[in-house]
Amino acid sequence: MKQIVELIINGDSHDVIVEEHRSLLDTLREEAGLTGTKKGCDVGDCGACTVLVDGQPVNACLMLAVEASGKRVETVEGLQSASGALHPLQDAFMRHGASQCGFCTPGILMMARQLLEENPDPTDEEIRFGLSGNICRCTGYTKIFDAIRSAAQEMRTTRETEVTL
Amino acid sequence: MNMPTPNLKNEFRIIGKSVKREDVIEKVTGAGSYVSDLKPVGMLYGKIKRADVAHARIRRIDVSKALAYPGVKAVLTHEDVPRVLHYGSPHPRSASCTKDQFILDNKVRFIGEGVAAVAAISEEIADEALDLIEVDYEELPAVFTPEEAIRPGAPLIHDVGPGGNLVLEPVRVERGDVEKGFAEADFVLEGEFSGGRPVPAYMEPNVCLADWDGSNKLTFWTSTQTAFMVRGILAEVLGLPVNKVRVLVDHMGGGFGAKQDCFQHEFLCALLAKATRRPVRMEFTRRETFIAGRSRHPFKLWLKQGFRNDGTITARDMKIVYDSGAYGSHGPGVTIVGTNSATSLYRCENVRLDGRCVYTNTPIAGAFRGYGVVQTYYALDIQMDEAAERLGVDPADLKRKNAVGEGDIAPSGHPIVGRGLEACIEHGIAGFDWKARRSLDRRPDPSRPHIRKGWGVGCEMHGSSAYPGIKEQGNAVVKVNEDGSITLMTGAAGLGTGAHTALAQIVAEELGVLFESVSVVHGDTDAVPWDIGAFASHTTYLVGSAARIAAGKAHSGVLERASAKANVPVEELMLVDGVIHVTGQPGLTMTVAEAMGPSKGIPAANILGKGTYEPTKSYSFAAHFVEVTVDTGTGLVQVDRVMPVHDVGKVIHPIAAQGQIEGGIQQGIGHTLTEDYVIDTTNGRSLNAGLVDYKMPLSMDMPEIDTVILEAAPDPSGPWGAKGVGEDPIIAIGPAIANAIHDAIGVRFRHYPITPEDILNALKQREDQ
Ligand code: FES
Ligand code: FES
Repeated sequence: MKQIVELIINGDSHDVIVEEHRSLLDTLREEAGLTGTKKGCDVGDCGACTVLVDGQPVNACLMLAVEASGKRVETVEGLQSASGALHPLQDAFMRHGASQCGFCTPGILMMARQLLEENPDPTDEEIRFGLSGNICRCTGYTKIFDAIRSAAQEMRTTRETEVTL
Repeated sequence: MNMPTPNLKNEFRIIGKSVKREDVIEKVTGAGSYVSDLKPVGMLYGKIKRADVAHARIRRIDVSKALAYPGVKAVLTHEDVPRVLHYGSPHPRSASCTKDQFILDNKVRFIGEGVAAVAAISEEIADEALDLIEVDYEELPAVFTPEEAIRPGAPLIHDVGPGGNLVLEPVRVERGDVEKGFAEADFVLEGEFSGGRPVPAYMEPNVCLADWDGSNKLTFWTSTQTAFMVRGILAEVLGLPVNKVRVLVDHMGGGFGAKQDCFQHEFLCALLAKATRRPVRMEFTRRETFIAGRSRHPFKLWLKQGFRNDGTITARDMKIVYDSGAYGSHGPGVTIVGTNSATSLYRCENVRLDGRCVYTNTPIAGAFRGYGVVQTYYALDIQMDEAAERLGVDPADLKRKNAVGEGDIAPSGHPIVGRGLEACIEHGIAGFDWKARRSLDRRPDPSRPHIRKGWGVGCEMHGSSAYPGIKEQGNAVVKVNEDGSITLMTGAAGLGTGAHTALAQIVAEELGVLFESVSVVHGDTDAVPWDIGAFASHTTYLVGSAARIAAGKAHSGVLERASAKANVPVEELMLVDGVIHVTGQPGLTMTVAEAMGPSKGIPAANILGKGTYEPTKSYSFAAHFVEVTVDTGTGLVQVDRVMPVHDVGKVIHPIAAQGQIEGGIQQGIGHTLTEDYVIDTTNGRSLNAGLVDYKMPLSMDMPEIDTVILEAAPDPSGPWGAKGVGEDPIIAIGPAIANAIHDAIGVRFRHYPITPEDILNALKQREDQ
């Protein structure tokens, strides 16, 4: 059975016609044309497909598109600001060599973004724990931890400046 | 030899600096295009029907139901595809390979081998159609271990090769007089070593997309390390001239060596597209990356060495058997490289080595980071630790004493340059505070009596490039544009290591322009110069040298043009950061853009520098120092700290090099403690073909890594002395961990992975004795 589902992806409303069994991941990639979110396993094991749904990280391969109906979906494509400026996490990933092949990167960025949203000043342990569902096979994680720490620091400083202003 | 004259300046403007990798911007924004992101109009989905028997003849395949299923556009079996015997590993013909594969055969050699392929309008329909294909098998007796496979009378898996299920004739290396060496020894150590079947588990499952145009030209997007090899082998097997096959690869999600083969699905995807006249994309499921991907070769090794009481090794006798699985793939290369490597690492005059590679009815082993050497150096390094224990000396000292260096001959037959290994060991001893740590009070803490700490060191050396096994060639073209920007054209694939950034740095440095002005065009066999492929830790070394030569020519071209334009002798010109200066006349400058651009009566310049480089071989070295905690209650081993010390010659991009080292350590920890793709040796079935059951180290498992990169032994055959780094970090970490476990609990393990069960069993056995 096909259904029309309204997804609010990165702030834009998309009406997509999907089979009920279609995953959110396939819908994002194949119907909405947003291929930034990657498929590393399709069974919830690798975290490559992590997106935020109503602010919560989910494995898009494990959620049906119909379940996300009417919800706010955020993907890596929405991280950059409207003006094109990179999110501090994106910039930090570039500077610190946290992205090698880049296949895990969109998922890890979304997970990290959620992590910093909830906890702007995470300890190393909290960063490690936060990423425990995301597999990266290239980096040894070390540079990813560095990048997240550095982005957190930068985001806190920016926030403080904003508050003082 | 066509190496540029050595650059005597010791101040570098760009190389050696961790410039911001602009090529990464596409990865962090999600804009980067991987093959599975492409979806041309009218695209069909391809799927492979896989055998559920380990060894069988196909009596009959009935595809009529599948073909009749709505949405199915084509079905192919062995009756529909060209029957051309080919190398699964499309190495250039200068290498030893084994022609033992058909696209689809009338015989099945392992569970999971493809027997038919389907193209349909959706993935689901394609999947459903696979179930409708009926295959009638005549089952044959099968063998699942090399021991079974080489037993007299064992069923033959192939009718090619030297026979007896050998993939190639045994590799024998003899030097000196082994018997005399053993006679001179004060003591002899002998042991058996073995290792499981780790897989690369790159995050991007294998994927390709094929499309034919009206002129019968195939455009083929694929996630491969070797685009030109894929082009060559596709052309050969499909009977096309190479200019009728265009292979494209933009971003790829890792490869670690295994994406060097030309896979069954790649041929099938091309043929399905041809049959349907529509683009077809074929993407592995994660399960398929295990079953139909490539693993490291499982191995069994017997090693006997004689030692003198002063630590000298007097003789080395080794036999190794690699398990190739159902096809040869990289078996020959791995056997040759792995066996030869045992002539080296720790000096020994008298060696006798015997390397074999054997077919079994199991999934195919192939190329994987550390190519054959992970196995042999695991054994050599652990036995060295045993020797140190026997002698009552510090293993790091013993390893340093025996480390090969300048004056020794490398496994490739080339002289070793410098004393890289010694330097790595020395730096580690000091930096890791090795001596002090090892002499810490070892009595267990009474509140946690089951916790034991241990420290270990492992060493390795690895060649940059596959020479002399393969006669390699690096190529580059550097184009200077009319606005002064630079385009580097390279066939080298970007697996994620930062190779394109390093190449751009080399070009910018040699040419004398800003790094930001260089962009890289890659991944299109129609547009870039021929490339052998990204493997063997050779991209920076080999293609980097070619890029440096090309940039040097472009540099001369720019200065000649400026000289003519400004009427200043070329010898007086100097190009720095994109600005041409006249020596002795400060203030008189011209930008590259001004030199290149058109002016009245003169058209824009057309400057192309072309570089080709044929390397010999250089070796990188490493010593890994680790600290582990062993929980004798649970058998769990935790790696707490690692100090990898690497000699890479001249480092081009420190952060990228560190990143590769740290990633290699992650994979190496996995190999040593948890990773093993297990095949049931009674029936050939996969037992853990998924990321939950195949246990890799995750963020919580990673130790503190304190990477040290030395430039101790630059090799003149690489750009400014640069050598490779890609494979090295996975090699030394294994024995380092095994040695540290021994240090912690006094039990010697000679296999990987060393599981909690192994540890508990060993401790129990010791108690029982
Ligand atoms: S693709 Fe969803 S978790 Fe792996
Ligand atoms: S960068 Fe390749 S998997 Fe993480």
